[in-house]
Amino acid sequence: MRARGVGGAEWQLALPLALAYAAFFLVPLLLLIVVSAFDNETLTTVRFAQWRKFYNDPFYWKVIVDTLKLGFYTVMATTVIGYPLALVYLGARPRWQRLILFVVILPLLTSVVVRTFAWIVILGREGVINQAVLGLGLSPAPLRLLQTEYGLVIALTQIEMPLLLLPLLSVMSRLDPNLKDASAALGASRWRTLFRVTLPLSLPGLLAGCMLVFASSTTAFISQFTIGGNRLVYLPLLIWQQSLVVYNWPLASVAALTLLVSVSLGVLGIAAIGRRAQAHAA
Amino acid sequence: MTHRSITRRRFLGGAAALCGVATMPGRAHARGSVTAAMYPGTWEDAYRAHVAPALKKAHDIELEMTPLFAVDQIAKAQASRGAPPFDAFVLDPGPRVTAIERGLFEKFDPKRLGNLARLPSGSTDDWGVTVAAQVVGIAYNPKKLPRPKAWTDLLKDPWVSRLGMTGFQTTYGTVSIIEIAKQYGGSETNVEPFFVEIRKVLPKVAAIGAPASMPSLFQQGQCDITYTNTQTVATLAGRGVDVEFVKPESGAVAFFTTMHIAKGSQAVDNVYKYFDTVVSAPVQGALMQPPNNMVPVNREVKLAAGLPMASLDEMSKFVRHDWSKINPLRASWIERFNKEVSK
Repeated sequence: MRARGVGGAEWQLALPLALAYAAFFLVPLLLLIVVSAFDNETLTTVRFAQWRKFYNDPFYWKVIVDTLKLGFYTVMATTVIGYPLALVYLGARPRWQRLILFVVILPLLTSVVVRTFAWIVILGREGVINQAVLGLGLSPAPLRLLQTEYGLVIALTQIEMPLLLLPLLSVMSRLDPNLKDASAALGASRWRTLFRVTLPLSLPGLLAGCMLVFASSTTAFISQFTIGGNRLVYLPLLIWQQSLVVYNWPLASVAALTLLVSVSLGVLGIAAIGRRAQAHAA
Repeated sequence: MTHRSITRRRFLGGAAALCGVATMPGRAHARGSVTAAMYPGTWEDAYRAHVAPALKKAHDIELEMTPLFAVDQIAKAQASRGAPPFDAFVLDPGPRVTAIERGLFEKFDPKRLGNLARLPSGSTDDWGVTVAAQVVGIAYNPKKLPRPKAWTDLLKDPWVSRLGMTGFQTTYGTVSIIEIAKQYGGSETNVEPFFVEIRKVLPKVAAIGAPASMPSLFQQGQCDITYTNTQTVATLAGRGVDVEFVKPESGAVAFFTTMHIAKGSQAVDNVYKYFDTVVSAPVQGALMQPPNNMVPVNREVKLAAGLPMASLDEMSKFVRHDWSKINPLRASWIERFNKEVSK
């Protein structure tokens, strides 16, 4: 497959996408790099002043770390909640599998703006969660959920969940059910089967899902800004402020490139952890 | 069409034709049309409903709108110097000053407006015409809080623990923070006293939100007092939210949304007719009605009950700001706000 795909005649199939990438991703990326080198809004002098400003300021380092932390927490939360559902899917009959798949895809059918604003209603001071908490007497005052990292991770977990589950379920559905039976027949406990058979085999799907969730949650400007407000500052907010409010395109470019590089490193980190885990399992 | 009739050649031919149509430049300015940049959302809806039909009826001119926020209008106009993608700008005071500095407007001749005599003095200048006013003050929920009197009340109990804030990203947020700073000894160019005071009460502040989410936060009871404009208050009240507008003791703030001719526009005559239609009494009256809730600029319009003034001339007593002084400082204020309020 590979030899034919790369060396044979079929590489042209990739041409439309490659051209689109070159025109709409690579060229703008180069422009971004060029713009970031300028010192001022009017793009006259080139001395990398905005790079120095950004990286000499501890506040911006904190913003980078907070952005990556948000991605990390969201990946953890989606994995802890999503993986058990994937196991249910694995054991379900085909009819139920279809239903689970439909429910998983369902959130994708509504706009992210709608989902985000719905979370304001749920997490708010007079929202569903706080009414339940107050009604059950669990807390004397409403909990502060909106505009906290905690609340944002809750919302992002729901918003990003399909991105984790879709690749995971597609890998799960291709697992041979006989392997589980074989493992049990050879005397392995359910937990041992989970950790030595199912988990390693589903790892590629889980990793793909984690990478998608990480990349998507760290760059989810609408959700971050709407639910996090101005108390939580992440890189996408900085990019928006600098490019569209104060027209400082060089600083916006620096923030954008920083986001691109740091998210890519995060994704590569997840891939590296995955490779190590796979090698370990094998 | 049967399946057989779609040959590859025919399909490709059709597709090529479609691509050709799609890439054809937008309709050049045929006689009788004007392309106006327009704020997306409320403005676009209101202008489609009221301005477009009036312009068609009075002058037989088609109004084509390009939905763009102020900053995007400037970015686009700057990127296409000399051949603007639209004929008319609609801008708030900050971006207006930026656009003048960058030479994006044609000179404007107020005498070409038939309605000039009906506009309050100062409504026009060499660059454009005022098409709507915004009045900014305090909005609060009278069922949850006592009535605030001054800007300083926002940072005091019981109001501060129910306060919803936005930063310097919006015009109304910027002027409100300037007014708070002034009460503590600051000025149009010095908001430092605001930062000193806000630091003392920051943990109590109920919400520091994205401007677009503030109406939702208020409606959901996340905050019960905020600074905002009369338009937002009227819109919330129209949805059944308990909200009242308060003119602070030191005066409400007024600023104006203006329209301008894009440099290089090929439809200048039509643009004047468009502006004249926008500021005409029937159109201004319609734009004032719910759900648009805009503050009119034509003296012949009878003001709605919810507005904090009896006549447009009273607005000359409202607090105004000089955006040519604010613009250069705004970037550093935004940066400072981020650093002060982030956890």
